Amino acid sequence: MGHGKYIDPICGESYKVAAGETLRLSYVILPGESRSIDVAVDLTGEGAALELTALYLSGADETVRIRTLVHHRVKNCHSRQLIKGIAGGSADVRFDGVIVVAPGADGTEALQENHNIILSDTAKVETLPQLEIYADDVKCSHGATVGRLGEEELFYMRSRGIPEKEAKVLQMLSFISPVVPEGREEEIAAALTKL
Amino acid sequence: MLEIKNLHARIGDKEILKGIDLTIGKGEVHAVMGPNGAGKSTLSAVLTGRPDYEVTEGTITFMGRNLLEMSPEERSWAGIFLSFQYPVEIPGVSITAFMKAALAARRKAQGLPELKAGEFLKLQKEKMAALRMNPDFAKREVNVGFSGGEKKRNEIFQMAMLEPVLSILDETDSGLDVDALKIVADGVNALRTPERSSIIITHYHKLLEYVQPDVVHVLKAGRIVTTGGRELIEAIESKGFDQF
Repeated sequence: MGHGKYIDPICGESYKVAAGETLRLSYVILPGESRSIDVAVDLTGEGAALELTALYLSGADETVRIRTLVHHRVKNCHSRQLIKGIAGGSADVRFDGVIVVAPGADGTEALQENHNIILSDTAKVETLPQLEIYADDVKCSHGATVGRLGEEELFYMRSRGIPEKEAKVLQMLSFISPVVPEGREEEIAAALTKL
Repeated sequence: MLEIKNLHARIGDKEILKGIDLTIGKGEVHAVMGPNGAGKSTLSAVLTGRPDYEVTEGTITFMGRNLLEMSPEERSWAGIFLSFQYPVEIPGVSITAFMKAALAARRKAQGLPELKAGEFLKLQKEKMAALRMNPDFAKREVNVGFSGGEKKRNEIFQMAMLEPVLSILDETDSGLDVDALKIVADGVNALRTPERSSIIITHYHKLLEYVQPDVVHVLKAGRIVTTGGRELIEAIESKGFDQF
């Protein structure tokens, strides 16, 4: 690593993406497991791209760690990361996301979003996005939120006759929909009811 | 059908409704008009059980039941519907999925069997056609990226699907152009039967040209200050609310 204080993942995954290629990564952590995802992606060829999504649904006393390191090493690489999840029970969740843009990596577009919902007072979510930019012509954005299920949506659904419990499940499905991989909708909807 | 007596309600420590009396009979359309801040939206919030609004005094009886003891979903099952002034976006949930869940829950509460998928889709198609909505609309995420007019039309579509006994239209006419307004009015009029009633909350008279109310109330500073017939609409149009 030329830049940044990020320590290389010890037992994680690492990828190199060559010129013109797109790497798609998708992670799902379901209730019942404590897990760490540790992934480093090097965009090493011009025009390389990364599309990463991650979803966690965690309850009980589960621990979830998600670390991503995306290194834009050359010009015109794009990366998009969307990490969303719901923490209930006494789940302990932490997201660390580092984006490094190397000197000269102009035309970089890097987007990182991490949004979390907590369902209980005992669940804990920490989110630590970091940008390290050493190039000039760069479009980088990152956003992180930790919130609760919205009262407005819940009331809207209940006013249409959807019972509170079911409305909350629909609301959670709505929240995570952008990170639910195709073909796993039903499995994930069923897992939601365990939170 | 609906009897409101001496209703006082507040949000936080601010009292907004200060003693409302209102009786609505079967088959009647009532307009509630009033300036901004009069308490019109609070009235619709209290009728539908929105959290954060606290009723401090008074009673509401709906078809013989104590409405204030019912949850928002129970009120919906009993036949109350609110067309929201600001419909809420629900990303990732299609209109079809949303209405399916709503209808299934209500039929279950009423002890009716769930509609078969084909029956549901047929019903949905019919209601959309009546409101001149593109069938593709059903696939869209609830209110996401909808224009103001589309949102209001979606409210009326949901109303048509749920066939409420009492419809409350909260500023449904605001932000609509004339064509959309006519479609909305047609939707409201289509539900006008001797069994169903509506409350139309508005500070304009526009919608009331198309949906003619039986009774008009003027709400000001948390109280109904005047009740009359359609002649009140004209009086408001020419002289505003200050005369009351």
